[in-house]
Amino acid sequence: MLKTRVIPVLSLKGSGIIKTHKFKTQTYLGDPLNAVKIFNEKEVDELVILDIFASKENREPNYSKIKNIATECFMPLAYGGGIKTIEHIKKVFDQGVEKVIINSASTNYQLITNAAKIYGTQSIVVSVDIKKNIWGSHEAYTFSGTKKNKISLDSHIQNIAKAGAGELILQSIDNDSVMKGFDLKLIEKVSNQLEIPIVALGGAGELNHFKEAISHGASAVAAGSMFVFKGKHRAVLINYPTQKDLKNILN
Amino acid sequence: MNLEENKQNICSRCVMDGSDPEITYNSQGVCNHCERYDSLVQTRTFSGDVAKTELSKVIASIKASGKNKEYDCIIGVSGGVDSTYVAYRIKEMGLNPLAIHFDNGWNSELAVSNIEKTLDKLDIDLHTYVIDWDVFSDLQKAFLNASTPDGEIPTDHAINALLFKEASKRGIKYIISGMNFATESMAVRMWSYGHSDWTYIKDVYKKFGNGQSLKPYPHFSFFDLFNWTFLKRIKVVSILNYMDYNKDEAMEVLKNELDWVYYGGKHYESVYTRFYQGYILPKKFNIDKRRGHVSDLIRAGQLTRKEALKELEKETYPSAEMLNHDMDFVHKKFDYTEKEFNQIMKQPTKSFLEFKNKASKVDKIKLVLNFLRKKGILSK
Repeated sequence: MLKTRVIPVLSLKGSGIIKTHKFKTQTYLGDPLNAVKIFNEKEVDELVILDIFASKENREPNYSKIKNIATECFMPLAYGGGIKTIEHIKKVFDQGVEKVIINSASTNYQLITNAAKIYGTQSIVVSVDIKKNIWGSHEAYTFSGTKKNKISLDSHIQNIAKAGAGELILQSIDNDSVMKGFDLKLIEKVSNQLEIPIVALGGAGELNHFKEAISHGASAVAAGSMFVFKGKHRAVLINYPTQKDLKNILN
Repeated sequence: MNLEENKQNICSRCVMDGSDPEITYNSQGVCNHCERYDSLVQTRTFSGDVAKTELSKVIASIKASGKNKEYDCIIGVSGGVDSTYVAYRIKEMGLNPLAIHFDNGWNSELAVSNIEKTLDKLDIDLHTYVIDWDVFSDLQKAFLNASTPDGEIPTDHAINALLFKEASKRGIKYIISGMNFATESMAVRMWSYGHSDWTYIKDVYKKFGNGQSLKPYPHFSFFDLFNWTFLKRIKVVSILNYMDYNKDEAMEVLKNELDWVYYGGKHYESVYTRFYQGYILPKKFNIDKRRGHVSDLIRAGQLTRKEALKELEKETYPSAEMLNHDMDFVHKKFDYTEKEFNQIMKQPTKSFLEFKNKASKVDKIKLVLNFLRKKGILSK
């Protein structure tokens, strides 16, 4: 069996990285280059970088910034933020990125299909941000969690898979940075409907949460806060479990 | 100066030499740093039984000051040996510290993992201040362009400011420092000046910075220092001066008890410090900080003069490969081309004296502090 990937997620804002809480309040984390350098040495499986306000601010990806990060990054790098067209995707790959992530443009299923045809399905990732409504049902949002999708979540994820996405990052807005565990019902519901790998994101606070996500159907797990905060004051300190700890919990 | 003195270029006791332009030697050929050490060591450190009694006294007052509070003291943590050893010892003595970390964008992986292990094993809470990288990198670059050897001052000054600010904000009365007279008694102002001189830092930035506001940068004036020390009564206790502090022994303890890992050079837990001390200072300023460090250890009886001289024959960088990596990384972090950086390396060197500074005031304050320590009014 393939090893379960455990993926840190860093959010870009301007020249720095930040961590949002429920997609709202923000904590400044510093310079992305240094974070990447530390994750390199911690032998991280894969890294996700998201320019989280690019689409909302109607910006194209910041290619020179992506290049700077990609050249420092020894592990496979996935980039998302501001990607709307095949040209954007091409330019992002040109900077040395291994996977692109489509979020706000994900209802443009044709884009996913075209990109998967050109670059191979394994390098096209779609991420979906999900919030519960007051009746407790899950709804997908785009543009930094500000715009609700018109299409139902179930139809949306099925369309994404059909269009040819290689994997799906399933992010819970409600659990973002709460660090009390993933939305397991959501993971179960989505993974039951899809064949493609699901990456669970939003809510991880301890190693045990990874195990829960996997047992509910996730193929890989991702986290932001858990890998950048330490202790009750949420002190910024980059960290990543040792391979030994990961083996113990995930095997 | 007579001919005899002129000829001498290295101290007969330690290994300090003419790379400190202000060095002087007495008739025995012993340098001013050794003489200063001899005159101050009694007032700055305790040893033997006195150390034990004094240590338990100071620990008792720290505990009393923190009664019914979440924390009784503040410690700075960098992942380095001194600060980690302080954390270890004060926890052992039953203090309840809050650890503060200044993240200046140059942490090595070893630094963060050392901090993590230490805090986990000792059960200490952490607060981190992450400085805005755009502001801080511009301040560091300003010092590079100012061409003085004080490029590490922006970090050193900010750490002190941050510790006082946090203590003041949280109503904590004690800052436990990892400074220790035994292994770092020496200050060579022509090698590094400005730890407490905000006037100097501001002037360098005004002349060489790109004009951002320095508001996010933790800093302090003499007025702030007076306010913190005398009005708010925040005391800085250099706890290692209350014990026989031996660096090698301390490192052994940390390795065994905390799984702590050595990073191969004094203060090399920061990539920039490693690059600054291992490349910029020796290459551009002809300053080898290890010379000061081993001289301290000679005086403390932790190293022989012969061992020290041998140590200095080694390369300043742990390896050529690491130097290349660090060089690329520094260029990238500062957005310098190789040519731009080499240009900086070639600029004629200057000293803080060519900028606004409060050096004479710093000297006076130091005299007063030493007097107060001698009288037992201030903690060691």
